[in-house]
Parts: sequence; structure tokens; C-alpha cells
Amino acid sequence: MAEISLTVNGERTAAQVDPRTLLSDFLRDGLGLTGTHVGCEHGYCGACTVLVDGASARSCLMLAIQADARSVETVESLSANGAGLHPIQLAFKDCHGLQCGFCTPGLLMSVVELAATNPACSRDEIREHLSGHLCRCTGYHHIVDAVERALDSATGRADDN
Amino acid sequence: MTTEGAPRFFGARVPRRQDDRLLRGDGRYVADINPAGVLAAKFVRSHEAHATVASLDIEAAAAAESVKAVFVGEDFAGTEMRCVSSYLGFQESAQPILAVDRVRHVGEALAMVVADNEYLAEDASELVVAHLDPLPTVVDIDTALDAGCAPLHPGWQHNAFVRRQIETYGFGDTCSAAPHRVSIELHNGRHSGIPMENRACVAEHDPGTGRFRLHTTTQIPHLVRAGLSWALGVPESLIQVIAPDVGGGFGVKAQLYPEEVACCLAARRLGRPVKWVEDRREHFVAAHHSREHRHTVTGYFDDDGTILALEADIAVDMGAYSVFPWTATMDGGMAMGILPGPYRIREYSVASTSVCTNKTPYGAYRGVARPAACFSIERLLDQIARHLGVDRVEIRNRNLLSEGDYPWRSPSGLVYDSGSLLESLDAVLELGDHEGLLKRQADARAAGRLVGVGLAVFTEQTAHTTQEFKQRGVPIVFGYETAKVRLDASGTAVVSASIHDHGQGLETTLAQVAADRLGLDLEQIRVEYGDTEQVAYGAGTFASRSAVLAGGAVTKAADAVADTLRLVAAHILEAAPEDMVVESGRVSVAGSPNQFLNTSELCRLIYQRPERLPEGVEPCLEASRTYDAHPGTGAYTNAAHLASVEIDPLTGKSRVLSYAVVEDCGPMINPTIVEGQIFGGVAQGIGTALFEEFLYDQAGQPLSTTFADYLVPVMSDIPDFRVAHLQTPSPHTIGGLKGMGEGGAIAPGAVIASAVEDALSHLGTVTVNRLPLTPERVLGYIDAANGSGASS
Repeated sequence: MAEISLTVNGERTAAQVDPRTLLSDFLRDGLGLTGTHVGCEHGYCGACTVLVDGASARSCLMLAIQADARSVETVESLSANGAGLHPIQLAFKDCHGLQCGFCTPGLLMSVVELAATNPACSRDEIREHLSGHLCRCTGYHHIVDAVERALDSATGRADDN
Repeated sequence: MTTEGAPRFFGARVPRRQDDRLLRGDGRYVADINPAGVLAAKFVRSHEAHATVASLDIEAAAAAESVKAVFVGEDFAGTEMRCVSSYLGFQESAQPILAVDRVRHVGEALAMVVADNEYLAEDASELVVAHLDPLPTVVDIDTALDAGCAPLHPGWQHNAFVRRQIETYGFGDTCSAAPHRVSIELHNGRHSGIPMENRACVAEHDPGTGRFRLHTTTQIPHLVRAGLSWALGVPESLIQVIAPDVGGGFGVKAQLYPEEVACCLAARRLGRPVKWVEDRREHFVAAHHSREHRHTVTGYFDDDGTILALEADIAVDMGAYSVFPWTATMDGGMAMGILPGPYRIREYSVASTSVCTNKTPYGAYRGVARPAACFSIERLLDQIARHLGVDRVEIRNRNLLSEGDYPWRSPSGLVYDSGSLLESLDAVLELGDHEGLLKRQADARAAGRLVGVGLAVFTEQTAHTTQEFKQRGVPIVFGYETAKVRLDASGTAVVSASIHDHGQGLETTLAQVAADRLGLDLEQIRVEYGDTEQVAYGAGTFASRSAVLAGGAVTKAADAVADTLRLVAAHILEAAPEDMVVESGRVSVAGSPNQFLNTSELCRLIYQRPERLPEGVEPCLEASRTYDAHPGTGAYTNAAHLASVEIDPLTGKSRVLSYAVVEDCGPMINPTIVEGQIFGGVAQGIGTALFEEFLYDQAGQPLSTTFADYLVPVMSDIPDFRVAHLQTPSPHTIGGLKGMGEGGAIAPGAVIASAVEDALSHLGTVTVNRLPLTPERVLGYIDAANGSGASS
């Protein structure tokens, strides 16, 4: 077992973990943060995406011990403790950007990153940026609507919808 | 008593009720459920496609850290899964829970290792050594049906689960007299729904009461309970099946799986809960497959392109076993029925063979045979148009059913209730800018680019019940759905339904229906589903049925409860029950809006002040109703799709440039949700058309076992969509509703094949007849077109 100490959703956490424990399993089973979903365990589907030191990462391709001394944010960080929905979450709700909800948490975390790094992108650029997230329900159209709206509100662009 | 207010929520684009919890990460999926003392299961699966099981070495696994048990076939002997069709000549298969002496596909479970956690269970599973003696494998339809091929199941005469044939009386004479005929052979790749959540289940058994509780990723909790009851030999009253939040289904989660039975058996043996979470590699080889059809179709037509008769030979590769509750006849039967499609075809001859091979068993995927049937008939229409030199739109206009044809009895015996086929085709040409597409195609060609335009029209049988399923030969006739509505003393309502919502938004749309009938706000309605304890019985969510059937059942149950409100309010207000209006949180006297009771106050009186009730009225605001959409032949949605595609001539990669849909599913409860269903279906259909295929080698080894080999469309593969609606109500259903969950996925294969063929048409004559249109195949078509020497 290895001792790790990290920040998860703003809280300092220390834990004993088996070195082979995936970050996704540590978050879900170790910390009970089941909002992070596991869809493929080989890094393709994007459902397990979290932010590590602000950058998106596949938590199924990372070991928990690699998160030692780092800061991890999961979907639970977006509207914690009964707060209202985060503007990105609200945009997904308003634009019907989710159906079964399984891919959604990982996708939201990538949109958080996109809003921070490239909020002025076009619909085609949104599709390119988020093409590492598989969604089987929506056909993506309403997701692109939602991301466009979320980025517009992040940049203060006029909402012409 | 029918006095009611105007709908406030039916037809409104209200946001979904479940979104807040799903967006916060507060959804509760099966993998999130961990009862106290839960153990983890891992399955050891066959690496051979067809073999006898010589022996299994399990000692090392059994001795590994924390392992509680290693189960093998003999441990569960006597429990097996059969799904028997009543069709004459149907050959039964017995699917073991764990293989006993023989395996019939790669991925079939051989052993089950149960340990303290998934990591340790997987470690131990790798210590199991399976000694398998390979047998000749059967991986294609022709080999399977060859007279010299040994049958794959004991007692079988040949490798067809069933062969069926129908022919109309006038078929032979009509064909002889027809001046033209065109034939085409069509191939659809094997693929499936691939929901983002893999399968999972958690089984618990209480030795004191003998009760089982199974949380599982299913679309059909009541049917899973029925199947478990048969498999386990335990009455249904001792089995509770719960499907909580489920991460997509698309048909792949609409069956009973051996793993569900195994976890129940293991939980009973071990006296502790047993949980299994599938990994993606398992999903590719052990969750059921779908869609592998081969059709040969021939159209007989006159000089102006009027189709006089249709002939079809259908073969479907059903894999190794007949699955519950569908049987191995489902796709072959559905294709026979719907193949004539939206056209005025009177004479028809069709043969259908459900073939057994050494592949993963075959079940439902969104559209069930309709994508293959649409591909066949629409490709045939395009070939007829080309044969006569008639435009593709014109050939359809000459053959599509029109308003005066309804109700239309198809030559396969289906009864189409209503539709707007010509109108939807007209509308999609406008919506998708057909003229503009043709102009851009001409410009692109002048610049040496390969751009094509494709279209398709189809009719989608939805919400079919008793009449349809009794003909299908299935052991359980999926004839109805059930809903229960209960108003409590606070004046809020709980709506329970036998369907399941795994993305379709029924948690919201059923609340919209109930709110209008009960005169409440949406916030006063809670919709629950997925637990077999909630309502008496039902089938579940599949076959585009849930809005129609559960919507109808909710309407009936809510009306029954509202009638009690009317009776009591009329008594208290000294008015006639038939004059009472249930609306906006009040029950009032029609024409005297000041004479009213608040619904919440009325509910409190009914439960807590029974002395205020009129004689003979029980203090109960609960009703359970079923709805069967009589006569059960289905409500027919229709749609027309139009797309443009560009092909990279160097790589053969096709890119969808534009996609437009005009759909008519009758009145819509929530148009935004309808559009989301269409978009999702079309994107899956683009996967069908361009990307998705489970490939096998000749030894029956699957070649598509990761997302690197099996390509699912990603965001950058899919264009923005355009959608518009027509609303022709069904004469059969409550509210005129028609289903539409599958429709989006039905046409894209046909549309994109038509567009690819069109993109190459100036190079030469080529017939696009095989899906998916991978770059390699498209390069083959380009070569064929260039070599054909005949420009059309």
C-alpha cells in the first residue's frame, strides 16, 4: 500500500491505496464520488474525464498514486453542497444536452477546461475539441448547442437564442 | 366524466426533470450500488469460437487471495436459458449459464470467480486455465446453411433456427406479366447499440424469506423478473428486479443475460450480495450483437416505375443461441413484415432464415430489422429509378402510399393506420435545400470533388402490442404497459410505470401527461419506474412504445383518480360531478369559477376526513391501469431523410455534410425530447452507414474488441441536423400519439448509401450494396465505377 495526499474538489485528502488502484476507482470506491463514470477503461470514451491540476485527464488511464500531491476536480465540484447548477450544467439542461447522463460528467469537465482555455471557439471547433467524448444518445447536436451557450455566457457574448 | 381543462404541459418544451441529478453526478447507476458485504464477480470466457470443454483448472484461482468461490458449469447445471418460438419447425437452443461441455462463441462464460473486490477477482480469474478442444467453426451464413455443415446444437437437422415463407396469391402471375425487373443483394454489417454504460448487476438473496433482489442495467425489469423466475424455478413474488438509472440501452439491455442468472445463483450459494460490472472488452463479445442481415430483393415494375411485386430472400446471422424474450426469429420476422415499406406494393413473396453460427448471440438494436429493410427497399427504389432513367424523388412519388390508401393492409399483413409520406418527402426537400445541394454537387464535380445527395422515406411501426406479438411466436406477448397514479394527502402525485427511462425523458413526458390530467404543476408530480414492486406487470421500454403505451396508461389512471376528485368535490360543493373541472390546482364548477376546492385541500379531506365523503366513495386516490393501444397492430410514424456526403477520393473516407429529417409521429408531448431522440438515432445510423462492424476471422475470433477497432461516431463525424415535424394523429391511440424512439436510426444507412452511389454516378455505374461504407469499401466502389466504362 502507498500513502497519497491530494486535493479533491478543494478538500485535502490522505489515503492508503494499493499502487495499482486506478484514479477512477479511487474516486468512486475510495471517496464515494460516483459521478465519475467508467465507460471503457481503455481511454477512448471519455466518460471518466476529471481535471488534474486544471487539465482534463482520463481517470481510467491514471493511477491514484500519480495524483499524489496534485489537485483533482470531478463533476461533484461544479455545484457542491446544494448550490444551484453551474452555468455549464444549466446550459446542458436548457439545451437538452444529455439523455441517459452517463457520458455527461466527463464531458462537463472537458467543457470546463475548454471554457478556461478557448472560450471563443466555433461550432466546428467545439466538435473537434470534444471529439474525445463518446455519446451514444444525443447525436451530439444538442451538446454542441449547450457548449456554445455555455461558452457564450462565459465570454459574455450576446446570447441570440 | 370527461370535463377537463386545456392542456398546459402536453406539447410544451419543458426541461427534463432528471437533468439536475444527472448533471450533478448524483445519478444512481448499477455500478454505484454497493450493499453491505458485497462481493465482486469476474467471468472467465471462452477464447475459442467452437470447442468441447476438456477440463478447467480452477484450483489456483480458488486458492487465490480473498476468493470465495469459483463456479463452473456443473455448479449451475440444470439451470439454462431457452427461448422457444411457437413457429413450426423452430429448433431450440439451450444456453448454459456457464458452459458445461461445449462452447459456441468466443466470450461464452466458462467460470465465475467471486472475491472481495474486482481487482482480486480479476487476478484470480487469470489463474483459471481452460483446456478447450477446437471444433470446426461456422462464422458465415453460407457455411452454416451448407448441407454438409454439422449442426451446432444437439438434435438439430440443420443450422437454421427457423425458416419461414409467405407469398401473396397473385404474386406469380404478376411477376410473369411485369415488363421490368431489377435485383440487388444487400449486406448489413454486424453491430449493436453500444451504450456508454456497460452491463452490470448486483444480486442479493435473503435466506430467511427466500427473496431475491437484483439491481440490473435493463430496459425491461418485469421481463427480466419473468425470465429469472423460469430460470431459477422461483415464483415471481420472491424476485424483485430494479433498474435504477441506466446509461443507455438501445435494445442491447432488453434481454435476460446469463450473467444475471449467475449472480443470483452465486448470491444464494454464498449468502452475500454478488456484483458484476462488465468491462468494455466483455461487452464487445458477450453483450448481444445485432443487425447482420443479408437480403436479396427483386422488384417487378411497369414502364412508369410502378412497383407491381416484390420478392425477397432474407438471412440473418443470429449467432449461437436464441435469447430471451425475443427468440432467434425476431429480426427475420420483422424484416419480412416491414420490407415493402411505405410503398403501394400488393404482391409479395418472401423467405426468411434465422441462421445459427459461432458468434455472440443476437438481440435487439434500435429499429430491429427496420434499418436493414429500409436499406433494401430504398436501394431497390434507387435501382429502379436508374433502370428507367427516372429521378429518385419521382420514383418515390409514384409509389408512396397517399392519404386515400389508409388504413393500408400491407402484403405482409401489417395494417398502416395513417401517415404523411408524400408530404414528408416534399417537406424534407425544402428543409434540406435539395435544389441547393444539387447545385453545390454540380460545382463540386466541376472542381473534381466527389459529392453526392441521398434520400430515403420510411414508415415505422411503433407501439405494436397484442396483435403483432402474438404473430411473432414469442413466449410472452408484449401486449400492454401499466401505470399507477396516486394522489397523496398533500395533493402531490406519484406516477409509477412499467416502462423504463434510460435517456428517453419519460420521467418528464409522463409527468407532463399526468399534470394535465390532474390539473397539477409539474413540480407536484413524481414519476418512478424501474422497480418491479411499483406496478403489477408490464414489458418495458423497446419498440418505440413507451410514450404511447405508458402515456395512455397514465392518462387512464390519472383520469380515474380525477374522477374521484370530481365525485367528492361535487358532493361538497353541491354540484353535479359531470360539471366539475379539474384544473390549475383546483376542482371547480364549470361556469362558476368561484365555486371551487383546492385540490390539496380536497385530497386532505378525502384521506383524513372520511365523514365528508359521499356514500359509496372510498377514501382512496389511487388507480392502476393498463393500456394496449387497441387493436395492437401499431401506430405508424413516418419520416423522410435527406443528406449530402463528400468522399475523399484518395482515402475513400466519407463525410456527411448535411442531414435533414422531416418526421411525423403525431402529436408530440415534448418536441425538444422528440428532436433529441431523432438526432441520437440519426447519429447511430451514421455509425451503421459508415463505421460500425463486429468483424470476425475464419476461426471465429472477434477482431473488434476495443473502441480502437470498433468505431463509434464522434462529435466531429456528425454534422448539425435540421429537423421539422408533421403531426398526423393515429386513429388508434389515446391522444393520437405515435412512437418515435427508433426512427432516427432506421434510414441513415439507406440515405448515405444512396448519397455515396450518387457521388460516384458520373464516374460510372456502381451499385452500393454493403454497409458500413468503410474507406476501404468506398475505394472499391470508386475503382468499380471507374472500371465500369458506363457513365450513367
